[in-house]
Amino acid sequence: MLASFDTHLFWEALSSDPYWKGALLALALTVVSLAAAVVIGFALALGRGSRFRAVRSFVFFYNWLFRATPTLLQLVFVWYALPQLWPVFAGSWFTPFEAAFVTLSLNEAAYMSEIVRAGLLSVDPGQEVAARALGLTRRQVLRRVIVPQAIRIIIPPTGNEFITLLKLTSLASVISLQELLTASQQLAAVKFQYPEAYLAALVYYLAIVSVLMMLQARLERRYTFTSARRRRTVAPAIPALSHDAR
Amino acid sequence: MSEAILRADAVHKRYGELEVLRGVSFEVGRGEVKVIIGPSGSGKSTLLRCLALLEEPDAGDVSLEGRRPGRAEVGMVFQRFNLFQNMTALGNVMIGLTEVRKLAKREAREQATELLARVGLQDKTSQYPDELSGGQQQRVAIARALVMKPKVMLFDEPTSALDVELVREVLDVMEELANDGMTMVVVSHELRFAHHVASSILMMDEGVVIEEAPPERFFSAPEHERTRRFLALVE
Repeated sequence: MLASFDTHLFWEALSSDPYWKGALLALALTVVSLAAAVVIGFALALGRGSRFRAVRSFVFFYNWLFRATPTLLQLVFVWYALPQLWPVFAGSWFTPFEAAFVTLSLNEAAYMSEIVRAGLLSVDPGQEVAARALGLTRRQVLRRVIVPQAIRIIIPPTGNEFITLLKLTSLASVISLQELLTASQQLAAVKFQYPEAYLAALVYYLAIVSVLMMLQARLERRYTFTSARRRRTVAPAIPALSHDAR
Repeated sequence: MSEAILRADAVHKRYGELEVLRGVSFEVGRGEVKVIIGPSGSGKSTLLRCLALLEEPDAGDVSLEGRRPGRAEVGMVFQRFNLFQNMTALGNVMIGLTEVRKLAKREAREQATELLARVGLQDKTSQYPDELSGGQQQRVAIARALVMKPKVMLFDEPTSALDVELVREVLDVMEELANDGMTMVVVSHELRFAHHVASSILMMDEGVVIEEAPPERFFSAPEHERTRRFLALVE
Protein backbone atom coordinates (compact mmCIF):
# COMPACT_ATOMS: atom_id res chain seq x y z
CA MET A 1 0.00 0.00 0.00
CA LEU A 2 0.93 3.57 -0.40
CA ALA A 3 2.68 4.85 2.66
CA SER A 4 0.81 8.12 2.59
CA PHE A 5 -1.11 10.03 -0.01
CA ASP A 6 -2.78 13.25 0.96
CA THR A 7 -5.87 13.21 -1.27
CA HIS A 8 -6.97 16.53 0.05
CA LEU A 9 -3.70 18.19 -0.88
CA PHE A 10 -3.87 16.59 -4.33
CA TRP A 11 -7.34 18.07 -5.02
CA GLU A 12 -6.30 21.36 -3.58
CA ALA A 13 -3.30 21.46 -5.90
CA LEU A 14 -5.43 20.56 -8.90
CA SER A 15 -7.77 23.46 -8.33
CA SER A 16 -5.16 25.94 -7.18
CA ASP A 17 -4.33 29.11 -9.06
CA PRO A 18 -0.66 28.35 -9.86
CA TYR A 19 -1.67 25.04 -11.50
CA TRP A 20 -4.52 26.52 -13.47
CA LYS A 21 -2.50 29.40 -14.68
CA GLY A 22 0.53 27.20 -15.27
CA ALA A 23 -1.55 24.88 -17.43
CA LEU A 24 -3.03 27.77 -19.38
CA LEU A 25 0.41 29.24 -19.88
CA ALA A 26 1.80 25.93 -21.12
CA LEU A 27 -1.14 25.52 -23.48
CA ALA A 28 -0.88 29.09 -24.77
CA LEU A 29 2.86 28.75 -25.31
CA THR A 30 2.32 25.51 -27.20
CA VAL A 31 -0.40 26.93 -29.43
CA VAL A 32 1.41 30.13 -30.41
CA SER A 33 4.73 28.34 -30.87
CA LEU A 34 3.19 25.66 -33.05
CA ALA A 35 1.28 28.24 -35.10
CA ALA A 36 4.46 30.21 -35.72
CA ALA A 37 6.36 27.00 -36.46
CA VAL A 38 3.79 25.95 -39.06
CA VAL A 39 4.16 29.28 -40.87
CA ILE A 40 7.98 29.30 -40.71
CA GLY A 41 8.09 25.58 -41.52
CA PHE A 42 5.92 26.09 -44.60
CA ALA A 43 8.28 28.80 -45.84
CA LEU A 44 11.26 26.54 -45.16
CA ALA A 45 9.59 23.66 -47.00
CA LEU A 46 9.01 25.84 -50.04
CA GLY A 47 12.59 27.10 -49.72
CA ARG A 48 13.93 23.57 -49.95
CA GLY A 49 12.45 23.26 -53.41
CA SER A 50 13.67 26.70 -54.48
CA ARG A 51 15.44 27.35 -57.77
CA PHE A 52 18.11 29.28 -55.89
CA ARG A 53 20.94 27.39 -54.36
CA ALA A 54 21.47 29.97 -51.62
CA VAL A 55 17.89 29.50 -50.41
CA ARG A 56 18.21 25.73 -50.38
CA SER A 57 21.51 25.99 -48.47
CA PHE A 58 19.96 28.31 -45.91
CA VAL A 59 17.15 25.84 -45.21
CA PHE A 60 19.64 23.02 -44.85
CA PHE A 61 21.72 25.09 -42.44
CA TYR A 62 18.66 26.13 -40.43
CA ASN A 63 17.37 22.59 -40.01
CA TRP A 64 20.82 21.32 -39.15
CA LEU A 65 21.37 24.04 -36.54
CA PHE A 66 18.06 23.55 -34.71
CA ARG A 67 17.91 19.79 -34.87
CA ALA A 68 21.52 19.08 -33.92
CA THR A 69 21.50 21.06 -30.67
CA PRO A 70 19.53 20.37 -27.46
CA THR A 71 16.37 22.39 -27.05
CA LEU A 72 17.27 23.15 -23.43
CA LEU A 73 20.58 24.63 -24.55
CA GLN A 74 18.79 26.71 -27.18
CA LEU A 75 16.40 27.96 -24.52
CA VAL A 76 19.06 29.07 -22.04
CA PHE A 77 21.03 30.57 -24.92
CA VAL A 78 18.07 32.70 -25.98
CA TRP A 79 17.28 33.72 -22.39
CA TYR A 80 20.77 34.33 -20.97
CA ALA A 81 23.16 34.76 -23.91
CA LEU A 82 21.08 36.62 -26.45
CA PRO A 83 20.59 39.78 -24.30
CA GLN A 84 24.37 40.02 -23.83
CA LEU A 85 24.97 39.73 -27.57
CA TRP A 86 22.07 41.88 -28.67
CA PRO A 87 21.00 44.69 -26.36
CA VAL A 88 17.51 44.74 -27.88
CA PHE A 89 16.77 41.53 -25.98
CA ALA A 90 17.89 43.08 -22.68
CA GLY A 91 14.72 45.20 -22.56
CA SER A 92 11.96 44.52 -20.08
CA TRP A 93 9.64 43.32 -22.87
CA PHE A 94 11.70 40.17 -23.20
CA THR A 95 10.08 37.99 -20.54
CA PRO A 96 10.55 34.25 -20.04
CA PHE A 97 7.39 33.70 -22.08
CA GLU A 98 8.80 35.56 -25.09
CA ALA A 99 12.11 33.74 -24.76
CA ALA A 100 10.37 30.37 -24.66
CA PHE A 101 8.14 31.37 -27.59
CA VAL A 102 11.11 32.41 -29.73
CA THR A 103 13.05 29.26 -28.91
CA LEU A 104 10.24 26.77 -29.30
CA SER A 105 8.84 28.22 -32.51
CA LEU A 106 12.24 28.44 -34.22
CA ASN A 107 13.13 24.97 -33.01
CA GLU A 108 9.80 23.43 -33.97
CA ALA A 109 9.89 25.07 -37.41
CA ALA A 110 12.84 22.86 -38.33
CA TYR A 111 10.74 19.76 -37.64
CA MET A 112 7.59 21.19 -39.20
CA SER A 113 9.44 21.99 -42.41
CA GLU A 114 10.17 18.30 -42.93
CA ILE A 115 6.56 17.38 -42.19
CA VAL A 116 5.17 20.03 -44.54
CA ARG A 117 7.63 19.01 -47.23
CA ALA A 118 6.59 15.38 -46.98
CA GLY A 119 2.96 16.49 -47.21
CA LEU A 120 3.55 18.60 -50.31
CA LEU A 121 5.50 15.79 -51.98
CA SER A 122 2.72 13.31 -51.25
CA VAL A 123 0.34 15.11 -53.62
CA ASP A 124 0.24 13.48 -57.06
CA PRO A 125 2.19 15.66 -59.55
CA GLY A 126 -0.70 15.17 -62.00
CA GLN A 127 -2.76 17.51 -59.82
CA GLU A 128 -0.43 20.40 -60.51
CA VAL A 129 -0.23 19.63 -64.23
CA ALA A 130 -4.01 19.59 -64.53
CA ALA A 131 -4.32 22.83 -62.58
CA ARG A 132 -1.76 24.55 -64.79
CA ALA A 133 -3.53 23.27 -67.90
CA LEU A 134 -6.68 24.97 -66.60
CA GLY A 135 -4.75 28.22 -66.37
CA LEU A 136 -4.34 28.52 -62.59
CA THR A 137 -1.32 30.51 -61.42
CA ARG A 138 1.41 28.95 -59.29
CA ARG A 139 -0.12 30.56 -56.19
CA GLN A 140 -3.63 29.37 -57.00
CA VAL A 141 -2.37 25.85 -57.63
CA LEU A 142 -0.70 25.81 -54.23
CA ARG A 143 -3.61 27.34 -52.35
CA ARG A 144 -6.56 25.61 -53.96
CA VAL A 145 -5.19 22.23 -54.94
CA ILE A 146 -1.90 21.20 -53.35
CA VAL A 147 -2.08 22.59 -49.81
CA PRO A 148 -5.61 21.27 -49.02
CA GLN A 149 -4.51 17.80 -50.08
CA ALA A 150 -1.21 18.04 -48.24
CA ILE A 151 -2.96 19.09 -45.01
CA ARG A 152 -4.54 15.66 -44.78
CA ILE A 153 -1.08 14.13 -44.63
CA ILE A 154 0.30 16.86 -42.39
CA ILE A 155 -2.32 16.71 -39.60
CA PRO A 156 -1.36 13.45 -37.82
CA PRO A 157 2.38 14.18 -37.44
CA THR A 158 1.53 17.76 -36.47
CA GLY A 159 -0.61 16.38 -33.67
CA ASN A 160 2.48 14.57 -32.45
CA GLU A 161 4.46 17.76 -32.64
CA PHE A 162 1.82 19.50 -30.52
CA ILE A 163 2.27 16.87 -27.83
CA THR A 164 6.05 17.13 -28.03
CA LEU A 165 5.89 20.90 -27.78
CA LEU A 166 3.50 20.80 -24.84
CA LYS A 167 5.97 18.65 -22.97
CA LEU A 168 8.88 20.83 -24.03
CA THR A 169 7.22 23.86 -22.42
CA SER A 170 8.23 22.32 -19.07
CA LEU A 171 11.83 23.13 -20.02
CA ALA A 172 10.92 26.77 -19.53
CA SER A 173 10.79 26.13 -15.79
CA VAL A 174 14.57 26.61 -15.86
CA ILE A 175 14.13 30.19 -17.03
CA SER A 176 11.47 30.68 -14.32
CA LEU A 177 8.40 30.67 -16.52
CA GLN A 178 5.43 30.04 -14.22
CA GLU A 179 4.20 26.97 -16.07
CA LEU A 180 2.99 23.63 -14.71
CA LEU A 181 6.26 22.10 -13.69
CA THR A 182 7.28 25.28 -11.89
CA ALA A 183 3.96 25.26 -10.04
CA SER A 184 4.38 21.69 -8.87
CA GLN A 185 8.01 22.20 -7.86
CA GLN A 186 7.07 25.21 -5.79
CA LEU A 187 4.25 23.34 -4.10
CA ALA A 188 6.49 20.35 -3.42
CA ALA A 189 9.20 22.54 -1.99
CA VAL A 190 6.78 24.16 0.44
CA LYS A 191 4.87 21.04 1.56
CA PHE A 192 7.61 18.49 0.99
CA GLN A 193 4.91 16.18 -0.45
CA TYR A 194 6.12 15.19 -3.90
CA PRO A 195 3.54 12.60 -5.06
CA GLU A 196 0.57 14.93 -4.69
CA ALA A 197 2.34 17.90 -6.29
CA TYR A 198 3.67 16.04 -9.32
CA LEU A 199 0.57 13.89 -9.88
CA ALA A 200 -1.55 17.01 -10.10
CA ALA A 201 0.71 18.34 -12.86
CA LEU A 202 0.53 15.00 -14.66
CA VAL A 203 -3.25 15.15 -14.68
CA TYR A 204 -3.17 18.52 -16.42
CA TYR A 205 -0.86 17.31 -19.18
CA LEU A 206 -3.03 14.25 -19.74
CA ALA A 207 -6.19 16.36 -19.88
CA ILE A 208 -4.73 18.77 -22.43
CA VAL A 209 -3.47 15.98 -24.68
CA SER A 210 -6.83 14.19 -24.50
CA VAL A 211 -8.67 17.29 -25.68
CA LEU A 212 -6.14 17.72 -28.45
CA MET A 213 -6.67 14.16 -29.64
CA MET A 214 -10.40 14.77 -29.96
CA LEU A 215 -9.84 17.96 -31.91
CA GLN A 216 -7.38 16.19 -34.18
CA ALA A 217 -9.83 13.43 -35.00
CA ARG A 218 -12.41 16.06 -36.00
CA LEU A 219 -9.90 17.92 -38.11
CA GLU A 220 -8.90 14.73 -39.90
CA ARG A 221 -12.50 14.02 -40.77
CA ARG A 222 -12.81 17.51 -42.18
CA TYR A 223 -9.94 16.83 -44.55
CA THR A 224 -11.22 13.48 -45.74
CA PHE A 225 -12.50 14.07 -49.22
CA THR A 226 -15.63 11.99 -49.51
CA SER A 227 -19.21 13.21 -49.52
CA ALA A 228 -19.94 11.38 -46.28
CA ARG A 229 -16.68 12.66 -44.73
CA ARG A 230 -16.49 9.56 -42.66
CA ARG A 231 -14.98 6.76 -44.65
CA ARG A 232 -11.27 6.32 -45.10
CA THR A 233 -9.86 7.70 -41.88
CA VAL A 234 -6.28 8.51 -42.59
CA ALA A 235 -4.67 7.90 -39.23
CA PRO A 236 -5.57 5.93 -36.13
CA ALA A 237 -7.67 7.89 -33.64
CA ILE A 238 -4.88 7.73 -31.09
CA PRO A 239 -1.79 9.43 -32.44
CA ALA A 240 1.40 7.56 -31.74
CA LEU A 241 3.38 9.36 -29.08
CA SER A 242 6.61 10.67 -30.42
CA HIS A 243 9.80 9.32 -28.98
CA ASP A 244 12.34 11.92 -29.79
CA ALA A 245 13.96 13.47 -26.77
CA ARG A 246 14.70 17.04 -27.64
CA MET B 1 -8.91 22.01 -95.97
CA SER B 2 -10.50 24.61 -93.72
CA GLU B 3 -8.47 27.42 -92.20
CA ALA B 4 -5.83 26.21 -89.71
CA ILE B 5 -6.57 27.12 -86.12
CA LEU B 6 -3.80 25.29 -84.27
CA ARG B 7 -0.36 24.96 -85.76
CA ALA B 8 2.85 23.29 -84.64
CA ASP B 9 5.89 24.42 -86.53
CA ALA B 10 9.11 22.37 -86.34
CA VAL B 11 8.69 21.72 -82.62
CA HIS B 12 11.76 20.30 -80.89
CA LYS B 13 11.92 19.09 -77.30
CA ARG B 14 14.64 17.27 -75.46
CA TYR B 15 14.99 16.05 -71.88
CA GLY B 16 18.69 15.91 -71.19
CA GLU B 17 20.21 13.48 -73.65
CA LEU B 18 16.89 12.29 -74.96
CA GLU B 19 15.50 14.11 -77.97
CA VAL B 20 11.78 13.41 -77.72
CA LEU B 21 10.48 15.68 -80.48
CA ARG B 22 12.68 16.14 -83.52
CA GLY B 23 10.87 18.74 -85.56
CA VAL B 24 7.13 18.10 -85.55
CA SER B 25 4.98 20.19 -87.85
CA PHE B 26 1.28 19.86 -88.44
CA GLU B 27 -1.84 21.93 -88.42
CA VAL B 28 -5.40 21.43 -87.34
CA GLY B 29 -8.26 23.11 -89.16
CA ARG B 30 -11.28 24.48 -87.34
CA GLY B 31 -13.63 21.64 -86.47
CA GLU B 32 -11.15 18.95 -87.44
CA VAL B 33 -10.37 15.92 -85.33
CA LYS B 34 -6.79 14.70 -85.56
CA VAL B 35 -5.98 11.34 -84.06
CA ILE B 36 -2.32 10.68 -83.30
CA ILE B 37 -1.09 7.12 -83.00
CA GLY B 38 2.35 5.66 -82.57
CA PRO B 39 4.42 3.42 -80.32
CA SER B 40 5.19 4.49 -76.77
CA GLY B 41 8.15 6.83 -76.61
CA SER B 42 7.33 8.26 -80.03
CA GLY B 43 6.65 11.69 -78.50
CA LYS B 44 2.83 11.82 -78.69
CA SER B 45 2.26 12.91 -75.11
CA THR B 46 5.12 15.38 -75.18
CA LEU B 47 3.66 16.91 -78.32
CA LEU B 48 0.31 17.40 -76.61
CA ARG B 49 2.01 18.92 -73.57
CA CYS B 50 3.77 21.38 -75.85
CA LEU B 51 0.48 22.26 -77.55
CA ALA B 52 -1.11 22.86 -74.13
CA LEU B 53 1.87 25.01 -73.11
CA LEU B 54 2.60 22.65 -70.24
CA GLU B 55 6.06 22.33 -71.76
CA GLU B 56 8.03 25.00 -73.52
CA PRO B 57 9.42 23.73 -76.85
CA ASP B 58 13.22 24.03 -77.16
CA ALA B 59 12.79 25.19 -80.73
CA GLY B 60 9.88 25.74 -83.06
CA ASP B 61 6.53 27.34 -82.51
CA VAL B 62 3.05 26.56 -81.31
CA SER B 63 0.36 28.99 -82.38
CA LEU B 64 -3.38 29.27 -82.01
CA GLU B 65 -5.07 31.44 -84.63
CA GLY B 66 -1.66 32.81 -85.48
CA ARG B 67 -0.59 33.80 -81.96
CA ARG B 68 0.55 32.24 -78.72
CA PRO B 69 -2.35 30.45 -76.98
CA GLY B 70 -3.75 32.22 -73.90
CA ARG B 71 -4.68 30.70 -70.55
CA ALA B 72 -7.09 27.79 -70.91
CA GLU B 73 -7.69 28.44 -74.60
CA VAL B 74 -6.45 24.92 -75.18
CA GLY B 75 -8.26 22.34 -73.03
CA MET B 76 -6.48 19.19 -71.93
CA VAL B 77 -7.77 15.79 -70.82
CA PHE B 78 -5.30 13.37 -69.23
CA GLN B 79 -4.88 9.64 -69.26
CA ARG B 80 -5.25 9.44 -65.49
CA PHE B 81 -8.03 12.05 -65.27
CA ASN B 82 -6.13 14.15 -62.68
CA LEU B 83 -9.30 15.41 -61.05
CA PHE B 84 -8.64 17.57 -58.00
CA GLN B 85 -9.09 15.10 -55.16
CA ASN B 86 -10.12 17.74 -52.65
CA MET B 87 -13.11 18.94 -54.64
CA THR B 88 -16.45 17.49 -55.66
CA ALA B 89 -17.28 16.95 -59.32
CA LEU B 90 -18.97 20.34 -59.33
CA GLY B 91 -15.99 21.95 -57.58
CA ASN B 92 -13.64 20.52 -60.19
CA VAL B 93 -15.65 22.07 -63.00
CA MET B 94 -16.19 25.38 -61.17
CA ILE B 95 -12.64 26.19 -60.15
CA GLY B 96 -11.42 27.31 -63.57
CA LEU B 97 -14.35 29.69 -63.81
CA THR B 98 -13.94 31.20 -60.35
CA GLU B 99 -10.14 31.32 -60.22
CA VAL B 100 -9.12 31.94 -63.82
CA ARG B 101 -12.19 33.57 -65.37
CA LYS B 102 -13.06 35.34 -62.09
CA LEU B 103 -16.76 34.55 -62.39
CA ALA B 104 -19.05 34.89 -59.40
CA LYS B 105 -19.77 31.61 -57.58
CA ARG B 106 -23.41 31.56 -58.65
CA GLU B 107 -22.68 32.05 -62.30
CA ALA B 108 -19.89 29.47 -62.15
CA ARG B 109 -22.15 26.94 -60.46
CA GLU B 110 -24.79 27.36 -63.15
CA GLN B 111 -22.38 26.86 -66.00
CA ALA B 112 -20.63 23.95 -64.29
CA THR B 113 -23.92 22.20 -63.55
CA GLU B 114 -24.93 22.60 -67.18
CA LEU B 115 -21.66 21.10 -68.39
CA LEU B 116 -21.92 18.14 -66.01
CA ALA B 117 -25.43 17.50 -67.33
CA ARG B 118 -24.03 17.56 -70.85
CA VAL B 119 -21.65 14.70 -70.03
CA GLY B 120 -24.48 12.85 -68.30
CA LEU B 121 -23.44 13.41 -64.69
CA GLN B 122 -26.17 15.73 -63.38
CA ASP B 123 -26.76 13.42 -60.41
CA LYS B 124 -23.07 13.13 -59.46
CA THR B 125 -22.28 16.80 -58.86
CA SER B 126 -21.59 16.45 -55.13
CA GLN B 127 -19.50 13.27 -55.34
CA TYR B 128 -15.76 13.37 -54.79
CA PRO B 129 -13.44 11.82 -57.42
CA ASP B 130 -12.77 8.81 -55.19
CA GLU B 131 -16.47 8.01 -55.27
CA LEU B 132 -16.74 7.97 -59.06
CA SER B 133 -15.87 5.27 -61.57
CA GLY B 134 -13.00 5.87 -63.97
CA GLY B 135 -15.40 6.62 -66.81
CA GLN B 136 -17.33 9.11 -64.70
CA GLN B 137 -14.09 10.77 -63.56
CA GLN B 138 -12.94 11.15 -67.13
CA ARG B 139 -16.26 12.70 -68.10
CA VAL B 140 -15.92 15.20 -65.24
CA ALA B 141 -12.41 15.95 -66.53
CA ILE B 142 -13.83 16.63 -69.98
CA ALA B 143 -16.47 18.94 -68.50
CA ARG B 144 -13.77 20.70 -66.46
CA ALA B 145 -11.85 21.50 -69.64
CA LEU B 146 -14.93 22.30 -71.72
CA VAL B 147 -16.39 24.79 -69.28
CA MET B 148 -13.50 27.14 -70.08
CA LYS B 149 -14.76 27.29 -73.68
CA PRO B 150 -11.45 26.26 -75.22
CA LYS B 151 -10.86 26.66 -78.93
CA VAL B 152 -9.15 23.29 -79.12
CA MET B 153 -9.42 20.18 -76.94
CA LEU B 154 -6.46 17.85 -76.47
CA PHE B 155 -6.94 14.28 -75.28
CA ASP B 156 -3.95 12.29 -74.07
CA GLU B 157 -4.93 8.60 -74.20
CA PRO B 158 -8.24 9.39 -72.49
CA THR B 159 -9.44 5.78 -72.34
CA SER B 160 -6.30 3.76 -71.77
CA ALA B 161 -6.59 3.84 -67.97
CA LEU B 162 -10.21 2.67 -68.10
CA ASP B 163 -11.79 -0.73 -67.67
CA VAL B 164 -13.03 -2.06 -71.00
CA GLU B 165 -16.70 -1.56 -70.23
CA LEU B 166 -16.16 2.10 -69.30
CA VAL B 167 -14.36 3.09 -72.50
CA ARG B 168 -17.57 3.47 -74.47
CA GLU B 169 -19.16 6.18 -72.31
CA VAL B 170 -16.07 8.36 -72.66
CA LEU B 171 -15.75 7.82 -76.40
CA ASP B 172 -19.45 8.65 -76.81
CA VAL B 173 -18.96 12.01 -75.10
CA MET B 174 -15.94 12.69 -77.32
CA GLU B 175 -17.80 11.75 -80.47
CA GLU B 176 -20.67 14.03 -79.54
CA LEU B 177 -18.17 16.81 -78.99
CA ALA B 178 -16.67 16.21 -82.44
CA ASN B 179 -20.12 16.27 -84.00
CA ASP B 180 -20.77 19.61 -82.32
CA GLY B 181 -17.80 20.97 -84.24
CA MET B 182 -15.10 21.03 -81.55
CA THR B 183 -11.55 21.06 -82.85
CA MET B 184 -9.75 18.11 -81.28
CA VAL B 185 -6.35 16.46 -81.14
CA VAL B 186 -6.60 12.96 -79.71
CA VAL B 187 -3.78 10.60 -78.82
CA SER B 188 -5.47 7.22 -78.77
CA HIS B 189 -5.22 3.68 -79.99
CA GLU B 190 -8.97 3.25 -80.23
CA LEU B 191 -8.79 2.56 -83.94
CA ARG B 192 -12.53 2.19 -84.40
CA PHE B 193 -13.04 5.62 -82.91
CA ALA B 194 -10.28 6.98 -85.15
CA HIS B 195 -11.82 5.39 -88.20
CA HIS B 196 -15.22 6.71 -87.36
CA VAL B 197 -14.53 10.22 -86.07
CA ALA B 198 -11.10 11.41 -87.24
CA SER B 199 -10.62 13.88 -90.08
CA SER B 200 -7.13 12.54 -90.40
CA ILE B 201 -4.74 10.27 -88.61
CA LEU B 202 -1.11 11.00 -87.85
CA MET B 203 1.47 8.33 -87.27
CA MET B 204 4.37 9.36 -85.03
CA ASP B 205 7.62 7.50 -84.57
CA GLU B 206 10.86 8.56 -82.88
CA GLY B 207 9.84 12.17 -82.46
CA VAL B 208 8.56 12.93 -85.96
CA VAL B 209 5.30 12.58 -87.85
CA ILE B 210 5.98 9.94 -90.47
CA GLU B 211 2.57 9.83 -92.10
CA GLU B 212 -0.71 11.70 -92.16
CA ALA B 213 -3.80 10.64 -94.07
CA PRO B 214 -7.61 10.50 -93.84
CA PRO B 215 -8.77 7.32 -92.06
CA GLU B 216 -9.84 5.44 -95.22
CA ARG B 217 -6.48 5.76 -96.86
CA PHE B 218 -4.55 5.46 -93.61
CA PHE B 219 -6.00 2.08 -92.76
CA SER B 220 -6.39 0.61 -96.24
CA ALA B 221 -3.21 1.81 -97.87
CA PRO B 222 -0.64 3.05 -95.35
CA GLU B 223 2.41 4.41 -97.11
CA HIS B 224 5.04 3.48 -94.58
CA GLU B 225 6.28 0.08 -93.66
CA ARG B 226 6.53 1.30 -90.05
CA THR B 227 2.83 2.22 -90.02
CA ARG B 228 1.86 -1.16 -91.47
CA ARG B 229 3.81 -3.00 -88.80
CA PHE B 230 2.32 -0.84 -86.04
CA LEU B 231 -1.25 -1.29 -87.24
CA ALA B 232 -0.76 -5.03 -87.45
CA LEU B 233 0.29 -5.02 -83.79
CA VAL B 234 -2.52 -2.81 -82.51
CA GLU B 235 -5.36 -4.54 -84.30
